[in-house]
Amino acid sequence: MTVFTGMEFLFRFFPVFLAGYYVVPEKYRNEMLLLGSILFYAAGEPYFVLLLLAAVWLNYLFAWKVIHCRDKQRLKKRGKAWLIAAMAADVGLLAAFKMSGFFLGESMMPLGLSFYLFKMISFQADVYRGEIRELPSFRQTAAYFTMFPQLVSGPIMRYNEGALDAEKRDYSWDNAEKGLWYFAVGLGTKVLLADRLAILWKDISVIGYESISTPLAWLGAFAYSMELYFDFWGYSLMASGICVMLGMPFILNFDHPYASKGISEFYRRWHITLGTFFRDYVYFPLGGSRGGNGRTMRNLLAVWLLTGFWHGGSLNFILWGMALFLLIAVEKLWLGKVFRKFPLLGRGYVLLFIPITWVFFAITDLGQLTVYLGRMFPFAGGGVAVNPYDVVKNLELYWVYLLCGVVWCVPAVYRFLEKHRKNPVVAVLTAGVFWFSVYCLVSMESNPFAYLKF
Amino acid sequence: MKWIRKCPVFFLLTVSGLLFSATGLAGIFTVYGEYGLQPVKQPFLVLMMEGIEKGVMPWEAWGGLSAAGSEVTAASAEPEEAGQNIEDIEADAAGAAGEEGAGEALSSPAAGTEYAAAEAGTAGNGAENVDSGAEPGASAGNPGTAGEEAAEEEEPVTYEFQEVTEDYFNDAVFIGDSRTVGLFEYGGLEERADFFAKISLTIYDVFTATVGKDEETGEKITVEDALAKKQYGKVYLMLGINELGTGNTEYFMEHYAEAVETIREMQPDAIIFVEGIMRVTGEKSENDPIFNNARINEKNAAIAALADNRDIFYIDVNEAVCDENGDLYSDYTIDDIHLKAKYYSLWKDFLLKHGIVKD
Repeated sequence: MTVFTGMEFLFRFFPVFLAGYYVVPEKYRNEMLLLGSILFYAAGEPYFVLLLLAAVWLNYLFAWKVIHCRDKQRLKKRGKAWLIAAMAADVGLLAAFKMSGFFLGESMMPLGLSFYLFKMISFQADVYRGEIRELPSFRQTAAYFTMFPQLVSGPIMRYNEGALDAEKRDYSWDNAEKGLWYFAVGLGTKVLLADRLAILWKDISVIGYESISTPLAWLGAFAYSMELYFDFWGYSLMASGICVMLGMPFILNFDHPYASKGISEFYRRWHITLGTFFRDYVYFPLGGSRGGNGRTMRNLLAVWLLTGFWHGGSLNFILWGMALFLLIAVEKLWLGKVFRKFPLLGRGYVLLFIPITWVFFAITDLGQLTVYLGRMFPFAGGGVAVNPYDVVKNLELYWVYLLCGVVWCVPAVYRFLEKHRKNPVVAVLTAGVFWFSVYCLVSMESNPFAYLKF
Repeated sequence: MKWIRKCPVFFLLTVSGLLFSATGLAGIFTVYGEYGLQPVKQPFLVLMMEGIEKGVMPWEAWGGLSAAGSEVTAASAEPEEAGQNIEDIEADAAGAAGEEGAGEALSSPAAGTEYAAAEAGTAGNGAENVDSGAEPGASAGNPGTAGEEAAEEEEPVTYEFQEVTEDYFNDAVFIGDSRTVGLFEYGGLEERADFFAKISLTIYDVFTATVGKDEETGEKITVEDALAKKQYGKVYLMLGINELGTGNTEYFMEHYAEAVETIREMQPDAIIFVEGIMRVTGEKSENDPIFNNARINEKNAAIAALADNRDIFYIDVNEAVCDENGDLYSDYTIDDIHLKAKYYSLWKDFLLKHGIVKD
C-alpha cells in the first residue's frame, strides 16, 4: 500500500482518504492527514511506525526546548545545546541505520527514514534560526513530519513551504484538477517509461558486462540515465500532485535537469529538495563560497561526500560523489566561463558526463563497475564473447521508449502540455496515459507469467 | 458543463473509472468469474483490465449480463474453490494459455494427482537425474531402457555420441526459447547453423509463432515455414522453461511428442536432438514454486524418454553447466536463468562432444 503505483493505493487508500479529508471540517484536516499517514506507514512498516512516532514526539520536544531558550538572551547557550542534541539524535539515528548494512550484512533501513529525518533536521534548524517564529501545534508538526505523500521518498519539503495550517490551505476544484494532472503524468512517466527502460538496463546485466559491445555500453548508460530520472521525477510528480490535491503548494523536485548547461546547474535542477537541503544546512553553515577558493572546495567536498554517503553506504556511491565533486570543482574554477560563452558546449558536456557518473551510481560492485567502464572506454581491449550486433537488437526492441524518453526530457514539451492541460485533446491524452499505466500495472500484477518470459 | 471545462481530467477519470468499475462488476460472475478478485485491495476495474490482457473484451462483460449468468457461475465456482497449490495455479494458467488446453487440464483431475506424486519422486534426488541424463548415450547399446523391447527383436542400429568438429553444424537448425536465442547470439554458431528461436517460445506455439525473417523476401516466417523450405541434417530442440507455469507434465509432453513427430515428418532424414531444459540456480530453485529444478527434472525425464537412439537423441546440457547438486552454477548467470554471454561456449563445446554420425 505504501507504493503509489499499487492498486491498493490508487483505488482504495487514496480515494477513500481524499473523500474523508474533504468531508471533515477544515480545522480537522491535519488530524485527518496525520491519521491517514500513520495508517499508510503502518501498512508498510508495522513495527517501525513506532520509531516514526517516537522520532516525531522527540523532535517536537526538542523544538519546544529550543524555542523556549531561543528568544531569551541568558538561555542562548542552552538553546544551542538543545539544537545540538536534536541534531545528534536525528543524524545518529540515520547513521546507525545506514551502518546496519555494514555490520549486519543486510540493510535494516526503515521505509522513508532518511526523508522524514531530513525534514526533522531542517525543522530544528529553522526553529533555531527563527525562520519558524512560533512553535506550531503538535498536530500540525506531526502532520508535517509524517504526511504520506512525502513520507516514503520525499520531496523534502520545508515547514515554511507547506501551508501546514489546515485552515489556510487553498481548497479548490482548480487545485484538485491540477494535482490530479501532475499525478497522472507522474504515473505515466514512471510506469510507461522508467519501468520499460529498466528492463533494457536489466537485459544488459544478464548478458554480463564483459560481453557487451561499446555502443551497447553507452546505450545502457543513456537508458539508465533516463530510467533513473523518469522513475524519481515521476514519483515526485505524483507526490507533489497529491499535495496540491490536498490544498498545499506544488513542491518542485526536478526541473528538467537534462536541459542544463553545466553540471552544477544540473544539480540545481535534479532532486532539488535534497540539493537545497545540503546547501542550506551544510554548505552555507560551513561558509559557502565566501572564504576563497580553498574554503569553497572544502565545503563542496563535504557536501558531495555526504550526498554520496546519503545515497548508499557502499564505496561506489562515495566514488560517485567524488566524481561529481571533481566535475563541479573544475567547472567552478575554469570550465564554467567557457560554458557561459558557448552554452551548447555546456549542454553537450552534461549529456556526455552525467550518464558516465550514473554508471558509478548504478553498479554497486566495484569489480563489475570497472568492467562496465572498460566496455565504455575499451582502450585496453577486453570484452569476452562480444556480439557486435547487440546494440542493433536492443535498439529494435526499445527504440520507442528511448525516443519517447528523449522527447520527454525536453522542457518545452512538458511545459506545453502543462499549459494546455485543460484542452480536451490533452485531457483525453492524460486520461489515456493514466488508464494505460493502470492496465500495465494490472497485467503485471495479475499475470506474472506473461512477464516471466524466457 | 462549466465544471467539466474547469476540471476535464478529474471528470474524465471519474467517469471512465466508474464505467470501468461497472464493467468489472457486470462480468464478475460471468466472463471474469475465475480471476479471483480481492475486493478489499483491488478495485472492480482491475477485472476489466485483466480481461483485456487475456483477450476478453469489455463489452463481453455486458453481453454476459443479459444471458443467464447463473449457469456459468456454477461452473466457475469449482476452480476457485480448489485453493492455492501449484497444480491449481497450473490449471488456471493453462486456462489462460488456450481454450483447448484449459479443457484438457481441468477435465482430468487425475492427471494432477499423478503429477504431484511424480514431482515428489524427482524432487528428492535431483542428482540422480543428472546421471540418468548422461546415460542414454553410454547405454545406447544396452537393452533395458524405455521402448527397447520391440527394438530387440529387429536388432536396429543404434548410435553413440562422438566428438565432432564445428562443420558438423553446417546443416543444423536450432529451435528454442530465449536460451537458444542466447546460443545464437553468443555461442559462435550463427554463421554455420540456422536458428529459429524467440523469447518466450513454447512447445504450444512452436510452429505458429513467427520466429524469424525469410532471408530472401524479408517476410516473417514460422518454424513450420522454415522446416518446409529446407531439409536439415540435424534439428536441435530446447523448449520447456516457459511452459513450467502452464499445464502439467502430461499435457506438456502430449504437445512435445506431437511437435517431435511433426519435425520427424517434415525432416525425414534429420537427426533430431531433443535437449533437456537447462536448469536454474539452486537459489532460484529453492525459492520459486514454478521455475524450479524439481519441475525441470521431471519434464526432462519425460523428454529423455522420447529418445530412441536411432534418429532421436536426448542430450542434456546441464551436464556442462551445473554443479554437483544439479543446479546451474550461480557464477554463470546474473538472473539465475540465462547463461552469461561468455558461458555459451560451454554449451557449444558440449554439443561438439555429443554429435551423432551415421555412415
